[in-house]
Amino acid sequence: MTSARAMNWQRLLGAALLYSVLTIMLILFMVPVYGAIVTAFKTQAEVSAGGYWTIPTRFAAENFERVMDPDDGNLGLYLGNSLLLTIPASLFSIALGTLAGYGLGKYNFKGDGVLFILIVAGMFLPPQIALIPVFRLMNDIGLYDTLWAVIIIHTAFGIPICTLVMRNFFQVVPNALREAALIDGANEYSIFFLIMLPLTLPALAVLATLQFTWIWNDFLWPFILTQRAESRTVMVGILNLTGQYTVDWGGQAAASLIGSLPTLFIFVFFQRYFIRGLTLGAVKG
Amino acid sequence: MMLRRHPWIVPASFLVLPVLVYITFVILPTLNSLYYSFTDWVGYGADFNFVGTANFEKIFTDRLFSNAIKNTAIWLALAMTAPTLLGLTLALALQGKRKINTLYKSLFYLPICLSPIIIGIIWVWLYSPKLGIVNLFLRSIGLDQLATAWLANPNTALFAVFVAWAWQQTGLNMVIFLAGLTSVPTPLVEAAKVDGANYWQTLIKVIIPMLRPATVVVLALTAISALKSFEIIWVMTMGGPFNKSDTLAVFMYSESFRKFKMGYGSSAAVILFLMTLVIIVLYFRQTAAAEELYD
Repeated sequence: MTSARAMNWQRLLGAALLYSVLTIMLILFMVPVYGAIVTAFKTQAEVSAGGYWTIPTRFAAENFERVMDPDDGNLGLYLGNSLLLTIPASLFSIALGTLAGYGLGKYNFKGDGVLFILIVAGMFLPPQIALIPVFRLMNDIGLYDTLWAVIIIHTAFGIPICTLVMRNFFQVVPNALREAALIDGANEYSIFFLIMLPLTLPALAVLATLQFTWIWNDFLWPFILTQRAESRTVMVGILNLTGQYTVDWGGQAAASLIGSLPTLFIFVFFQRYFIRGLTLGAVKG
Repeated sequence: MMLRRHPWIVPASFLVLPVLVYITFVILPTLNSLYYSFTDWVGYGADFNFVGTANFEKIFTDRLFSNAIKNTAIWLALAMTAPTLLGLTLALALQGKRKINTLYKSLFYLPICLSPIIIGIIWVWLYSPKLGIVNLFLRSIGLDQLATAWLANPNTALFAVFVAWAWQQTGLNMVIFLAGLTSVPTPLVEAAKVDGANYWQTLIKVIIPMLRPATVVVLALTAISALKSFEIIWVMTMGGPFNKSDTLAVFMYSESFRKFKMGYGSSAAVILFLMTLVIIVLYFRQTAAAEELYD
């Protein structure tokens, strides 16, 4: 009895200790996020009075207004560009990955294993190896400095992860489903579109969160492939603003928060799918 | 039955479009880099000469290159250890089903959804010499002599950038280790406890060996993403001061797109690619083990 009670106390003490350490770690870990939030909502007057890391005395929207102003930060344009780039590139890469994943997951043919490995290996390619040739190719076909250049390249570089996830998904869909439909006289394509595609929704959700986050946050490709403000994406735009707002931390912080909103939205509302994607199909990043 | 009549026509019809796009915009550019690495192309115009192995001969005597290799080696060594151990520790501490664990886990992997650009911008303020919270904290506890211009000091720049990078990588590693932990059978852990093993013995003799596939994934992915990481370094230091944080990925960009030595830059890209290839091959040899994690 007494020893059981002592054990319980020991356990409780252990848990208290563990969570104290974890909480301290978490507080340290959250300092950058805290800094970005408090700085974004502070007036320049308050910041220059020395209050960089203090909680704002009143929540001000002036930093947000400044970075969104077309004559100032012009972030609205870059946000629009990023949406125009991220949505089609995510859709195209998922569509192509679904086709390839179905071809590899539901059929056996000579060389299917090699083809699969060749495609999946692309997931690990450092973008640097393709940077110069893609820069030249986009110049040659007249797409340099357009969003299309970035859309195409993200579509192509998204194929490996989308193919991997979809192929793994289709492999576990029972073959009986397909065979029954074949006996009923359905052809291969109506089976794909009418029977298989509706089943893939959870896998598509996983890929959508993953591709959107990755393409939205990417900087290197739009940095290499675009130049004018008209085709500038949000991450390139924000980095440019830090040049314009060198000591204006409030402006930088507001731009950073706005630029992170779409992926934070996914993080809050679709976390389950996002985390599943990270562990399911290895990882991009 | 259909399968036998059309051994490849049907799958080919599904595969033709994705494979074509993949070859055109991923495979061919990769091979083209190899080709450019043997030329002296300057980035504009169609004129260039085939220079054989001159770029490679030059690069191995280039002091900036050997500096970049040295920085990449430091970066890689730090990347494989610190965020891996921290991610593992967090996963072990937070693996239970308590509500508070769910909240803590979410906050620890929040940085995964942020762009390296944003992370870099925020960490630049943290490191700001006068007003950054790192130095404010050091001064407030009387350690004034430790306060420095973290990103401008040649001795600290690379490490300071690395901490910002690790801030994101740790959460990612934690997620993968957590997935790995779900495949450790509870009866096995219980049995060890019944046999009188304490937590540390269970951890080292039972849990860690069962986490082998997850560890392989974490190490491979960390190494690959460490090798190609460019953005956060570019935002925070642009490889400086005095090239002290200039890794191979930054070197490749600077040579190609700042100095317009595209042929030379291509040879740097090829070397970066070959380093990655070594990791990919090692990783694929372990995939049988890693596959267990995905199921």
